[in-house]
Amino acid sequence: MRYNSLSKAKCGFSMNDVILVQRTIPGSKERDNIRKLAELKELAFAAGYNVVDSLVQQHHPDRRFHIGKGKAEELAALVAEYHPLKMIFLNPLTITQVYNLSELCQCEVIDKFQLILEIFATRATTSRSKLQVELAKLEYELPRARKLVSLLKQEERPGFMGMGGYEDSYEQDLKKRISRIRKELKITIRSGATRRESRHEQGFSLISLAGYTNAGKSTLFNTLVSEDVESMDMLFTTLSPTTRSINISGRRALLTDTVGFIEDLPHFLVDAFRSTLEDVFFSDIILLVVDASDPADVIRKKLAVSHDIFWKQLENAVLITVFNKSDLVFPGELEAKIEALEYLSPNPVIVSAKESIGLDALKEVIHSNLPKWERFTISLPNSDEGMSILSWLMEQGIVHSTEYGEAIVVDAEARDSVMNRAKALARNISAA
Amino acid sequence: MLDTIIAVDISGRHYEDNRYFMVSAAVALSYSEGNIRGIEGIHIIPFSSVKPPEVTDVVHMVEETVEGTGINGTVVAERGDMFNQPEDLVKQMFRVDFKYPESMAEKLGIEFAHHVSLSSRNLLLKQEVHEI
Repeated sequence: MRYNSLSKAKCGFSMNDVILVQRTIPGSKERDNIRKLAELKELAFAAGYNVVDSLVQQHHPDRRFHIGKGKAEELAALVAEYHPLKMIFLNPLTITQVYNLSELCQCEVIDKFQLILEIFATRATTSRSKLQVELAKLEYELPRARKLVSLLKQEERPGFMGMGGYEDSYEQDLKKRISRIRKELKITIRSGATRRESRHEQGFSLISLAGYTNAGKSTLFNTLVSEDVESMDMLFTTLSPTTRSINISGRRALLTDTVGFIEDLPHFLVDAFRSTLEDVFFSDIILLVVDASDPADVIRKKLAVSHDIFWKQLENAVLITVFNKSDLVFPGELEAKIEALEYLSPNPVIVSAKESIGLDALKEVIHSNLPKWERFTISLPNSDEGMSILSWLMEQGIVHSTEYGEAIVVDAEARDSVMNRAKALARNISAA
Repeated sequence: MLDTIIAVDISGRHYEDNRYFMVSAAVALSYSEGNIRGIEGIHIIPFSSVKPPEVTDVVHMVEETVEGTGINGTVVAERGDMFNQPEDLVKQMFRVDFKYPESMAEKLGIEFAHHVSLSSRNLLLKQEVHEI
């Protein structure tokens, strides 16, 4: 099966041309396979590539070429025709398969995971995300290091007079670099945790946007904070988390936009990006955003991936499922989807970030799930000290009303610790 | 809407002392909006075999344990427990509704069933009584 997906003129080659290759499992669902190839196409686009052709084969994996030998030869002919920069396989390849395919086709071969790493590498801007990308690359490379060297050794002998050995030193070098980066990442993670604690102390609740790539998280973020954070119809637009403060019915909160999840993300990639996802894990509220215009079984899979990533990582976070892009779905259809997916979608809210529909309902659900604040009345002396406690209370919580007389009677709402501190301060002033 | 799932786990699917001594635990949980609301019932059955259990044996053990709870609901078990067979294939083997865990509530239910089956198996094997 061959799809000449783009109407690109064969005579006009570009430097970023690629050919996509997918091996499907015999008996697998056609619709799933098409969706996966479309996602690979989007990923290639996000990495700045131009897809000139796609090759699909239904076949059990071949040890030498991953696809059948005849198909590999067909691929070589395609490469000779288009002269692409790379061939991108949807399925994970072994180093032997990469070696054999590149020898046969005379073209660079990568798989989906390497493509994701490439995207992460180009999008990484902070030192932390750069370290994470490097770690993921090294972890991907490590099991392949020994095999790669042994393949290369077939052609040449290492060291002086061919008597040396370099495969161990190469592997050791990778291991050393991995351990060095892990140490550096630990320091940055610790500083992140400290920052979160201090934000809590300053009266901020933490809200994170999470979910599958291209669900519209950045658009929702922009609509909620009314800012223009980069949002495009492209996978992995957001790599470094962006945080802004928002006001939810008087409560101050920090809203963080985070990197999107992707199906079949290998564990080495999830682990390497864990510190990026920690902004999600340590939140008070997680807005799990899904694209409501997707078919129900696709939403189900995406929600299942998200639940899988959250499993055992959350610390008392409340999950709110945001069905975004509701403007693209008929109302009855969306309600049926939500009912069918109830077991995977706690606190469902229907919104359209683009059309600003359902945002008040979303804010209401967020407000009702924020960490509980106590409402209390406190009497402060009408003096400079009393006024300074009142101003501190205004910063830390919500002051509903104040009555000025001999004393200042304040009706306020704040965290337990703030309330107790205000009462203790008021007592100390009265006693003095 | 309150739904019921019955999470099942089998401990001891390894050869030990010339037999496979397995304990199957079924935990019936009610949940709504993706959160567990309560434990409706637990049933435990020990099984023994000299031959390694096959998929059909596992299906039999799961169904018998679930029946013991006396509660109707969707049976949830780990993919590994069903020899990593595709969900659609396993569904056809069961007389009741079956699925692999997806939500955190379902995973938590399986974890609960796992601890119940493991500790029950240990109790049955050791039979230790602590004098007080």
